[in-house]
Amino acid sequence: MQTLGEFKLPHFFNYPPYFTLQPVRDTREKQIQLWKELILDYCRTQKIFIVGLDEDFPLFTNAVIERSLSHEAREAFLSALVSEGRAEWLDKGRRKCLILWHRIQDWADLILSFARDNGLEDGVMTVDEIRSGIESRGTELHGMERTILMRALKHLEHKGKLAIFKGTSADDEGVKFSI
Amino acid sequence: MRRRPGIGGLQNAAAARDQYRQLGENVAKLRTDLMKEQLDTFRSQLEDFARKHKNDIRKNPAFRSQFHEMCSKVGVDPLASNKGFWAELLGIGDFYYELGVQIVDVCLATRPLNGGLISLEELCKLLGQRRKGAREAVSQDDCLRAISKLKVLGNGFEVISLGKKKLIRSVPTELNKDHNEILELAQGQGFVTVDEVQRRLCWSSGRATDALETLLEEGLAMIDDGHMDGRRRYWFPCISSVSSYTGTSTDTS
Repeated sequence: MQTLGEFKLPHFFNYPPYFTLQPVRDTREKQIQLWKELILDYCRTQKIFIVGLDEDFPLFTNAVIERSLSHEAREAFLSALVSEGRAEWLDKGRRKCLILWHRIQDWADLILSFARDNGLEDGVMTVDEIRSGIESRGTELHGMERTILMRALKHLEHKGKLAIFKGTSADDEGVKFSI
Repeated sequence: MRRRPGIGGLQNAAAARDQYRQLGENVAKLRTDLMKEQLDTFRSQLEDFARKHKNDIRKNPAFRSQFHEMCSKVGVDPLASNKGFWAELLGIGDFYYELGVQIVDVCLATRPLNGGLISLEELCKLLGQRRKGAREAVSQDDCLRAISKLKVLGNGFEVISLGKKKLIRSVPTELNKDHNEILELAQGQGFVTVDEVQRRLCWSSGRATDALETLLEEGLAMIDDGHMDGRRRYWFPCISSVSSYTGTSTDTS
């Protein structure tokens, strides 16, 4: 089996027609399904948050069989993720895509349990502390994409679980939990 | 002087008929008894044999296939019913019914990938994975037997021979001769191009395109436009398998 670093690639990745968007509906649905699972899986294990359509994303090309996904195919697979709420376009031109292997509400739940674990039920933390502080080391929150974190925090703010306050610059943004 | 029919003559004739019939019945009964005796002996012999080699029949696919051959020579189908003494004795019926169910399962799970046509080898391999840790090994012969039993349920499953290769069809698509020829041609590389089909089979381009389009629509083929030469390739997952895709369906083993 072929691997990308530690990641084990599925068999279909070595089957050339999977790199051409299939014209027949049923076949294409199955194809998209497989790609969706692969992209989510890969991003989850490799902690990749943003996929650029024109970038050298390792899954878009398979040098072994000399195949590469067309722009159309890339967009089709990512759009399928977007329609399921597992991804979001970051721009109108659809060149960058945010991959949500955890949905926003799942990230929010992770933040809540992180706060509870650290006795921060009504504590204060900066946004950057959550992403890269000592407390979050070893948790899934460590190193998470800022855009996603902010979205999850806003989700929690909406539910009244915390308040976001702004400092003098973007780096100073912080939250006050009230769980 | 001509004798005219009288009551005595009629009675005589009736008595003679009666006697003939009785005699005939006696002979027939004798024969039946003899047959019964022979059958009993034969049956007990077969039972002895089956009992003695029960484990071999269960465990060893080659032995099992020979046992089937022997049975078919004497006109016994151990799979005809699950009630028969064969089934009770060997549990062999259950074995094939279980296998049949698993075959249906595999065929359905892989259908989106191969359009409902799967090679016998691939099927065996997937069954092996599904039955992982299961007691008995499964041979291709076993699969074919189990499939033949599936026929009882209607015309859903069919074995298609392509040269040496055997394919199992689980969709009602009728493959005509043209389609079979293309599949046979594709066995070499796993794919064909329109050019190749025209050249190797001496067909017009319309005929080649038509047949390929049908295979595509039936989900039996996938297109590949990614090769450097720019020629569209038609791949057939049923031949060059996408390999051990086991699907997301539940593992029944």
